[in-house]
Amino acid sequence: MRTRRSVLIVLALWLLALVALATFAIQHLHISTDLRSFMPPPQTADQKLLMDQIGEGPGSRLLLLAIDGAPEPTLAELSHGLADALRQDARFEQIVNGVFDPAALDDQLLPYRYLLSPTLDTHALDASFLGEQLQQRVEDLASPAAALLKPLLARDPTLEVLALAERWSPPKAPATRDGVWFSSGGAALLLAETRGAGFDPAAQGAAIDALEAAFRRLPNADKASLTLSGPGYFTVLINAKTRGEADRIGAVSTIGFILLLLLAYRSVPSLLLAGLPVVSGGLAGIAALALGFGSAHGITLAFGFTLLGVAQEYPIRLLSHRRAGEDALTSVRALWPLLATAIASAAIAYLAFFASGVGGLQQLAVFTIAGLVVAGLSTRYLLPRVLPARFRDVAATPGLAAATRFIDRVPRPRWLPWLLLIVSLLALWRAPGPLWQNDLAALTPVPQDLLLRDAKLRGELGAPDVRYLLVLQAADADGVLALSEALTPPLDALVKQGSLDAVELPSRYLPSLATQRARQAKLPGRAVLATALADASRELPFRSDLFTPFLDDVEAARKLPPLDAAQFARSPFGARLGSMLVQRDDGWLGLATLSGVHDADALADFTATTQGQARLLDLKGASESLVVAYRERILRALGLALILLAVTVVVALRSLRRAWHVLAPMSLATLLVLVVERGSGISLSLFHLVALTLAAGLGLHYALFFERPVADAAEARRTLHATLVCVISALLVFGLQAWSSLPVLRAIGLTVALGVGFHFCLSILMARGRRSAGIDD
Amino acid sequence: MLDRPLILHGELEYLGPGKLGKRVDTPYKEQTTITDSSASVQRGDGAPRLFSLAQAPELEGFLRGFSALLGGDAATLQRDFQLSASGSQAHWQLQLKPRDERLARRIRAIEVDGTRDTPRCFRTHEADGDLGVLLVDTLADTKLTTRPSPAQLDALCRGVDAK
Repeated sequence: MRTRRSVLIVLALWLLALVALATFAIQHLHISTDLRSFMPPPQTADQKLLMDQIGEGPGSRLLLLAIDGAPEPTLAELSHGLADALRQDARFEQIVNGVFDPAALDDQLLPYRYLLSPTLDTHALDASFLGEQLQQRVEDLASPAAALLKPLLARDPTLEVLALAERWSPPKAPATRDGVWFSSGGAALLLAETRGAGFDPAAQGAAIDALEAAFRRLPNADKASLTLSGPGYFTVLINAKTRGEADRIGAVSTIGFILLLLLAYRSVPSLLLAGLPVVSGGLAGIAALALGFGSAHGITLAFGFTLLGVAQEYPIRLLSHRRAGEDALTSVRALWPLLATAIASAAIAYLAFFASGVGGLQQLAVFTIAGLVVAGLSTRYLLPRVLPARFRDVAATPGLAAATRFIDRVPRPRWLPWLLLIVSLLALWRAPGPLWQNDLAALTPVPQDLLLRDAKLRGELGAPDVRYLLVLQAADADGVLALSEALTPPLDALVKQGSLDAVELPSRYLPSLATQRARQAKLPGRAVLATALADASRELPFRSDLFTPFLDDVEAARKLPPLDAAQFARSPFGARLGSMLVQRDDGWLGLATLSGVHDADALADFTATTQGQARLLDLKGASESLVVAYRERILRALGLALILLAVTVVVALRSLRRAWHVLAPMSLATLLVLVVERGSGISLSLFHLVALTLAAGLGLHYALFFERPVADAAEARRTLHATLVCVISALLVFGLQAWSSLPVLRAIGLTVALGVGFHFCLSILMARGRRSAGIDD
Repeated sequence: MLDRPLILHGELEYLGPGKLGKRVDTPYKEQTTITDSSASVQRGDGAPRLFSLAQAPELEGFLRGFSALLGGDAATLQRDFQLSASGSQAHWQLQLKPRDERLARRIRAIEVDGTRDTPRCFRTHEADGDLGVLLVDTLADTKLTTRPSPAQLDALCRGVDAK
């Protein structure tokens, strides 16, 4: 009945379908790497703001740079050179290295200095103030400052440009040497703000490549080294690392897996054909993602292919359970009820991921469910039709009989599971460290040393605290600026009182329109100013017509329309302000950054007195609340999945007693994994939960097959053979992941590998136990 | 920029290689201390202001020249400046032209006049045409007119009477 011809036709059609699926997937699937899709969905206003800040906010687009390894003058030259090069680069919004260049204030903006600088709030441009200022300029000209001030003097005798420079430099700027910022450790420091979003790896990658290339082109660049940090850099790094590591782990586990199957079945055609269901599942998963989402996260694919490893059990079961002389279709029919139970329950377990509401996990669920179902169906309907007729019954594998006998004779005291349960509960109760890992950073696989370096650079650069943000709320941008001005005195008082080191308010960069108008009203007319200037410089050696540009500028400033936030944000100095003002549906937000917060309670008490106009946003608090909310969701979903799973098993086995024998070892093994991890001080993250679910899915297979009543001892040996192949392959794949340098892969790898071990042992002890005397020969 | 020169009186102190102190007594009080890479200026009772010498290269050049000259360090002088000497033992003139391009953009040349082993007059020709004159030693107490002409200063430095 089964001719060589029909085998070839089925195989050809199958392969053709796979090629079609692959073509579709490649053409339609866009791989994204936005880390936010692996984060929980925001619920509260603070959480939404947090996610915005993480992705698009000024903090996330900031690259922190340090140049070290050479003498300071060389480093300063490099800092100047790099800043000049990047200012020409459209990929960068701005670059700051400590140099204030008055020339960057163009002619159009220069007269605005009288509206922007606070000088006029306390002084009038009269003869006495001008006289005092001009006397100081005379002294400046004879001092080392002369070179710096000479070009400014005629236009700006009161040095408003320098007053602005001081006001606009970061509140806690690093020490300046040779004109540029230096860290306490002697590295030149720079800040580069990219145009692309922090978590857009393509834009960040291009910007970082351009930055590094620009650095290498500088003379003496080979004598120094450039260090990068910041969210954008981490994105690029994780992207490359995830891909590299997933590829490496994938390659090694594939080789191991092939060797294992060759050893188990001693047939190259069987091996090649047995790979087809998993390939089909993988391609179907990708196609489902392309159809359902249009894009997939890089991590989804890496995890998805890992999780799909479960599907390799299906062809393994078919190969191992085939008895001598039996047609493959007959064997698969006998296996199918159990396989279908396993597939259905796994698919149900992954539905819980779908309910999590996290983009990345939903994609993972779609990929895995589609993959498992297609791998299962192709094992049932396609694989048996193409497997070679000649094969070796694994029941005859040397040593297997002895192993089966050994396992049968293992003592199975009935009290052992109960003892394990009691000891486990005690151990969990006494386990060290917090039960849950709420820190979002622990889920983001950025190596700790890089985070430490980032924190250090951030501190040196006076870059703001990443934890707290003061959020100002008003109807429009000018309202935010006015509010910011009103809050300045009380906040300055808090700084003085030591509650925090510094605050950077939006009005630091641009005063409100009302303040600008008030200053404008104080500017004297040209004739009045000229008289005052003549009075002031009577005793001084300045040339009489020297200050004409000054008179022109003041006259111009009197007639200027005040500068609004939108105009200012477009200027060379406006980028910082632009990133501090955020338009929302219901008005405008001003984001004031805080440095060195020592007393958050005092700040919160202060904001409580502002009738909701200002509030303290604790980014860490918001992110932790996000994680807690997310975990509650996933725990609820998992609880639901567990009930569904139990019901599926009971229904499929049609016996509560048999279902108990399947579910009890699975539950106890899961508990044991928790005990080991908690006992070694590991706090649980969402990824541990995900991995526990996966391990439980694998454990279900072992228990289901061990629990299955078998006709003879040879079939018992086949079951053991199939289970051993599955256990070893799972240990291979996840054991390798447990050594990964990425915390997420490590969490999953360790949890699943431990789980597989416990599930296997407990399945033998508990699921298989009841027949130990029954069918032995 | 100015229509008459700024005339200051004070003390100049050589504090060893690369270090210089400059104190202004009249018409106002100011203390400047210059080391290898930075200058601090204190005026009245105010807090000292710090400058990097990179921001004031003419001072840096002057410091190097002055320091090397007083320290008798011909090698440093040769490295930093193109030297040309003229005159006699009694009235010599040394012209220093900076080799460093960055410095040369700010300073055209420094002329030092002296008698025997004592420099008496330093003239710094800045690139924008301004001239800084430092009279030391016996010349320090010279009574200057409010607007000494370049010719008068030149004569003063060379030690000849300008008529």
